[in-house]
Amino acid sequence: MKTVNLTPCGDPTVPAFPHRHTFLLSVVIALITPLSGFADDQRQTQLRFFETKVRPLLVEHCHECHGPDLQESDLRLDTTEGILQGGASGPAVVSGEPDQSLLLVALSYREDDLKMPPTGKLEDDEIADIRRWIERGAALPEVEGGVKPRRGAIDMEQARQFWSFQPPHKAALPSVQNIAWPQTSLDYFVLSLLESKHLAPAAAADRRTLIRRVTFDLIGLPPTPVEVEAFLADSSPLAFARVVDRLLTSTHYGERWGRHWLDVARYADSNGLDENIAHGNAWRYRDYVIASFNADKPFDEFVTEQLAGDLLPAEREAERHEHLVATGFLSLGPKVLAEGDEKKMEVDIIDEQIDTIGRAFMGLTLGCARCHDHKFDPIRADDYYALAGVFKSTRTMESFKRIAKWNENSIATVEQCGEKAEFDRKITEHKAAIQQATEAANAELKSQLGTATLPKDAESQYSQESKDKLKQLRDELTALEAALPELPTAMGVVDAEPTNTQVHIRGSHLSLGKQVQRGVPEVIAFDGQPAIGEQQSGRLQLAHWLTRPEHPLTSRVIVNRMWRWHFGRGLVGSTDNFGNLGDRPVNQPLLDFLAIRLMESGWSLKDLHREIVLSSTYQMCSSNNDVAVGLDPENHWQWRANLRRIEAEAVRDSILSVSGLLDTEMGGSMLHVGNRAFLFDHTSKDETTYDTTRRSIYLPVIRNHLFDVFSLFDSTDASVPTGDRATSTIAPQALFLMNSDFLARTSQALAERLVKEVPSDERARVTRLYTLAFGRPPSDAETEQALTFVAAAAGDRTSPQTGWEALCHVMLVSSEFLHLQ
Amino acid sequence: MDCSLNPSEFGAGISRRQLLRTSAIGFGNLALAAMLGQEASAANPLAVRATHFPPRAKRVIFLFMKGGPSHLDTFDYKPQLQKDDGKTLPFDKPRVQFAPTGNLLASPWRFRKYGQSGIEVSDLFPHVAECVDDLCILNSVHGTNAAHGGALLKLHTGSDTFVRPSMGAWVTYGLGTENDNLPGFITICPTLAHGGVNNWGSAFLPAFCQGVPLGVASKPSSEAQVKYIQSSHWSRDAQRMQLDMLAKVNRDHLAATGPNSALEARIDSFELAFRMQSEVPEIQNIADETAATMRLYGLDEPITEDFGRQCLMARRFAERGVRFIQVTHSDTNVQWDQHGNLREGHAKNALEVDRPIAGLLRDLKQRGLLEDTLVMWGGEFGRTPVAQGKDGRDHNPEGFTMWMAGAGVKAGFKYGATDEYGYYAVENKMHIHDLHATLLHLMGMDHLRLTHRYAGRDFRLTDVAGHVHADILA
Repeated sequence: MKTVNLTPCGDPTVPAFPHRHTFLLSVVIALITPLSGFADDQRQTQLRFFETKVRPLLVEHCHECHGPDLQESDLRLDTTEGILQGGASGPAVVSGEPDQSLLLVALSYREDDLKMPPTGKLEDDEIADIRRWIERGAALPEVEGGVKPRRGAIDMEQARQFWSFQPPHKAALPSVQNIAWPQTSLDYFVLSLLESKHLAPAAAADRRTLIRRVTFDLIGLPPTPVEVEAFLADSSPLAFARVVDRLLTSTHYGERWGRHWLDVARYADSNGLDENIAHGNAWRYRDYVIASFNADKPFDEFVTEQLAGDLLPAEREAERHEHLVATGFLSLGPKVLAEGDEKKMEVDIIDEQIDTIGRAFMGLTLGCARCHDHKFDPIRADDYYALAGVFKSTRTMESFKRIAKWNENSIATVEQCGEKAEFDRKITEHKAAIQQATEAANAELKSQLGTATLPKDAESQYSQESKDKLKQLRDELTALEAALPELPTAMGVVDAEPTNTQVHIRGSHLSLGKQVQRGVPEVIAFDGQPAIGEQQSGRLQLAHWLTRPEHPLTSRVIVNRMWRWHFGRGLVGSTDNFGNLGDRPVNQPLLDFLAIRLMESGWSLKDLHREIVLSSTYQMCSSNNDVAVGLDPENHWQWRANLRRIEAEAVRDSILSVSGLLDTEMGGSMLHVGNRAFLFDHTSKDETTYDTTRRSIYLPVIRNHLFDVFSLFDSTDASVPTGDRATSTIAPQALFLMNSDFLARTSQALAERLVKEVPSDERARVTRLYTLAFGRPPSDAETEQALTFVAAAAGDRTSPQTGWEALCHVMLVSSEFLHLQ
Repeated sequence: MDCSLNPSEFGAGISRRQLLRTSAIGFGNLALAAMLGQEASAANPLAVRATHFPPRAKRVIFLFMKGGPSHLDTFDYKPQLQKDDGKTLPFDKPRVQFAPTGNLLASPWRFRKYGQSGIEVSDLFPHVAECVDDLCILNSVHGTNAAHGGALLKLHTGSDTFVRPSMGAWVTYGLGTENDNLPGFITICPTLAHGGVNNWGSAFLPAFCQGVPLGVASKPSSEAQVKYIQSSHWSRDAQRMQLDMLAKVNRDHLAATGPNSALEARIDSFELAFRMQSEVPEIQNIADETAATMRLYGLDEPITEDFGRQCLMARRFAERGVRFIQVTHSDTNVQWDQHGNLREGHAKNALEVDRPIAGLLRDLKQRGLLEDTLVMWGGEFGRTPVAQGKDGRDHNPEGFTMWMAGAGVKAGFKYGATDEYGYYAVENKMHIHDLHATLLHLMGMDHLRLTHRYAGRDFRLTDVAGHVHADILA
């Protein structure tokens, strides 16, 4: 197809139409498909309008940068195709829709970052001409064969062929040579891959290594010496399965795996961003997550509750409250609460929600489609705004007024409401009684003084009886008000008035385009969009769609996350991106097998844990293999276990646990400021405190100012869903481990514990320290080394414990303590 | 190779590379790019890697005036505003404003011409004015956010919507540090409000890129400390003994597990921490400075002592190779935020910083450091030409002034302009993204090529915007 050049000095091989020579219009008309009658006349008029009013402006102001020589932002405005196909930001002109036309957006100078021409705004009447031309159909000289679809337009059929948009495929267990190796089904997939690479899996780990690994892995704490000994002594073939069962039924399990999910949920106890105020009730969501993991809540229910708990039926009040708390997931994101432009704040909050559900559940970066069709994945701006409609129909915020307030739902029980109502009644009564008593006393005083008006300080002249009565009533009122119970609320959402949104051109709420129906991304809409009733936001439908068995992403993304949390790397390395720019699965048949297995088990995560930890794959040792290192240095194929540093929470919890200081109380708020109170305001005073020995999951997660242990040891900053924490090694970690009061205190406690438990035998004391910290006894050489150090470190200090404290400190910060084999 | 500064482009195929991405032995002394890009050929992997093009500035000192100093009362003289005091603004105010405002308010301060350049500076900055021939005054800076939090985040990270790496983190990411014992990015007495840590954070960049805070805004700079830099429990000798024991225990563990570079890096990190422990306090200890130097920075007077100490520490860190040093002027109030009480508030604020800043500029110059150090001054926005109350000005991100001095920028130079009242930037408009692009350019980096792949996208400090304002380059 030829390009019709609109410039007066274009390529001589294509027809050119010097605009200033209107006689050439006949050439234009000759080239276009003959039209007839009224429409023909109209078109002729519009074309003439284009030639005489619009094109001269384009030539004069636009062609220099968007013409034959230069096509800034891939846009040229000197050809019909160029205008219709547009440039990097989309079509320049949408026929009949001036407000959706980027050309007019740019000319109108209403967007800070898109003002054209850059030399200065056109005259109002010139812009009006272009507006009129677009309104009336944006007539352009026709191109032979029509205009091709816009560059970069998404071909959905083709896009659906991408691996992660195809439903998981259930393959038969692959055949393997070493039939003795597999213990659970997944082993066949791993071994088959290894055998195809001519590699053998590493040997099985020894029992001490194994129980240490699985205990940290499932509950985030080191095994106690008693647990280690019991496992070593259990000769039954079911010994390990018993350990796993014990760990999976421990309440510590939810504290460990709930924390993983909180990473994905970008859980935080403060807003962060511009106004760092407390999420005073976020802890309820945290406790909900822990309880859900402990109860092995089916993952599809877990997803649905978080997206649409408020819309689910509930038989009991507690269940209803649980569902409301779950929707806190949608509210926890960081928000610019002092944004002066309230409309912008609303769309930014919706954007954060869309981006979060995209990454958390589907591994898709939906947020990219806010300003334009996604550049790498088949997500159109229309898809984005279909979802935006769902969240615009959802009440996330109570008020957008600076400082904006998020919505909280009441989770008060009937009893609590009754109790509160009783208080309210008494308060009203007391106020009335005070009023009455005052009036009576006034009347009494007036009659006593014989005046019609009250003196200034009337009350001081009341009779003692009246004074006493008033005082009593007021004291009672004060007491009532002080004791007035505050009804519990939880961060979360409910439906708002259902509405569809318009596409925001270039992501700006100031440039609204066409309206789109609430719905889900077209590329994975299967047999069509879910039916969203006029009176529904569509959140429930969104949740049901996500958890349909044929959804290609939800099950894969969660099993991949679980794999990552067990092994240190996902089968898809980019846990939060299953799109084009994400990694491809290392072993897709395995990923798909696990995804389908999860769904077949009724979405039971504990079942998946068993499949994984009872496998030979999980139970390998971490020893080296030169051939394998050469072929697969990062161990993507799983030829051995990875050596891993434990996570921030486990670092702290383990140190507390071994030193005997860990407080295992569960749940509740550890924030010491009220809901919506500032953690950090302009005074820059640090209002945080972490002086507790509770497990780390209960410590407040303060955005913009994470607890040192969290920020130093690579916890997430809770700003976006994170399924793949980094592991860094930086000197400030060493500074913390060497110099913090936390280590001084815990080393001291551990030394005290040792001296108390093993009062006299110093060699036995070293053994105790090693079994507590490393889960193994020391070698003779290690014992000698430790005792020599203790003696030297004691120096001339008076306390005999000093040397032991110094040794304990070394052990608690050592690589062996903080790494898993 | 033209993408030499994009470490993320070098695939994840080799574990050592991946390790280095996240585990520089310390704060970034590895010059990450060097490790990743020149791994095969680098004889000395610790060498700082060549930049995209020769850098004009090796380091930056950013003097951040929190709260939004008024450009109209400092470095952007508006004769028309002085004439039209009390009149109505003859054009529209911005669509989104922070607070209601009234009519035009002339500056209460007199402006005078200084130096050979004859640039006008108000009486608020008599000492800095004496250095005006070294300044490159940017009168046309503009941002997008009229609230402190959003504006701070925009200025420091380029985004007021998402958590993104700060500019100091990007600089450290691109260039590493010249001193093996120090972080690449230090922020002195930063404010914890309005973005807090995000303003010096590394977000998705490797952890070693993040700024290391020295103290906080709510405490005097004389008490500023890097957290955990010293043990209150163990003596230095006792710690040395512990570290020796720890090294033994860790090496035994390493021998048992087989070669592992993360474990090796960990062993080294303790030694680096131990060295830092003596180096950082040594830099902070200004006792070895002469009385003349102390005076230069205003350490001889209580009003200038606090900020003067910050500026002097900044010079000492600059001398020792720290890449990006931010100095924050903020107290327990939002220091430069004079919605009311402009006369008194701005006078006090300026008095606190004027001598120290002039002292820093002079000191850097006399030591030859100004040649390769870029000093940058400014707040998160300017203030409105229209009054808030009788004696106040509201936030104004539409047009305000920052200035640069030193390496690579024109001296005694004014660039860009606001309208006749100083409300909107109109000439050679310099968006915050442009400021970032130009800053990176001065440090030898192309803002389009300094990228990091995260969550499937290549991120830049300048997002999808920004262009270098070549006219200010010397």
